[in-house]
Amino acid sequence: MKFYDALGLEPKLAIDLDDLKKRFYDRSRQWHPDRFSRSSSEEKQRSEEMTSMLNDAFRTLREPVTRAEYFLRESGLELSKDAPPELLEEVFELNMALEELRGGDESARGQLVLAQERFTGMLADADSGLSRLFASYDGKADAIVLEQIRATLNRRKYVSNLLRDVEKELNVHSAN
Amino acid sequence: MAYSDKVLDHYNNPRNVGSFDKKDPNVGTGMVGAPECGDVMKLQVKVNPATGIIEDAKFKTFGCGSAIASSSLATEWLRGKTVDEALAIKNTDIVNELSLPPVKIHCSVLAEDAIKAAIDDYKKKSENVGVESKAHA
Repeated sequence: MKFYDALGLEPKLAIDLDDLKKRFYDRSRQWHPDRFSRSSSEEKQRSEEMTSMLNDAFRTLREPVTRAEYFLRESGLELSKDAPPELLEEVFELNMALEELRGGDESARGQLVLAQERFTGMLADADSGLSRLFASYDGKADAIVLEQIRATLNRRKYVSNLLRDVEKELNVHSAN
Repeated sequence: MAYSDKVLDHYNNPRNVGSFDKKDPNVGTGMVGAPECGDVMKLQVKVNPATGIIEDAKFKTFGCGSAIASSSLATEWLRGKTVDEALAIKNTDIVNELSLPPVKIHCSVLAEDAIKAAIDDYKKKSENVGVESKAHA
């Protein structure tokens, strides 16, 4: 996986962030375009390509979610486009409440505040679930675990979109 | 991107918005969603158990204009059809009728999925009712 290769890392899901940062800074210095100002144009180009690659690699790998998405893609697994069915009922009710609040019905606010708490909790659960699954997959490369990671990411994405909508609506209407 | 006239018509005047009691044994409920856009679509059919004909259909969709138009059109088409005819409705029929652009095809897929889910739910319920009434007999 090229982002791991660029930073001299084994492709693992669990990463030591301090080590990642150090590798990124060391290599960024090493490939900094300023150090190639008097080099051949091929070398200059190489330094620019490496710098840009290191930036992409660092940005992708430092966050657990983007790292796992990258890892899955590189392993040939696309994120699913299906919504988690167990959440749909709740999502529907939530959208009804959002619509009511937009329509000026303040009684919907309590439901939204509760939803905000629940979704924040669900995100935290998804994140701790991910770090457990990362350790498990790194220990034993089991395809089932990779599927579980995909399901968790899928659920997490849905929940974080909902949370964004809820918080946006609560903020918009908090002035009233 | 401009919406077609038919999409705008359904979006501005959605047909059959609302809901039935989902506990009614003659009602089938389909709930589907798409995570990337956060759309969620609820589509319900009310079936006459004697004839197997869908007498009424209702929907409520949270999503873009194309998703609303696709489900609104679906409820129009469902009325008067038998359950099996309803299952023959394809997303491509919706795409053609509404002139949906390629980026909005997933909305029509969502509507087709919602129809199938609603019919499935109705069929499951009517089987269960059959089993229960036999058990009571």
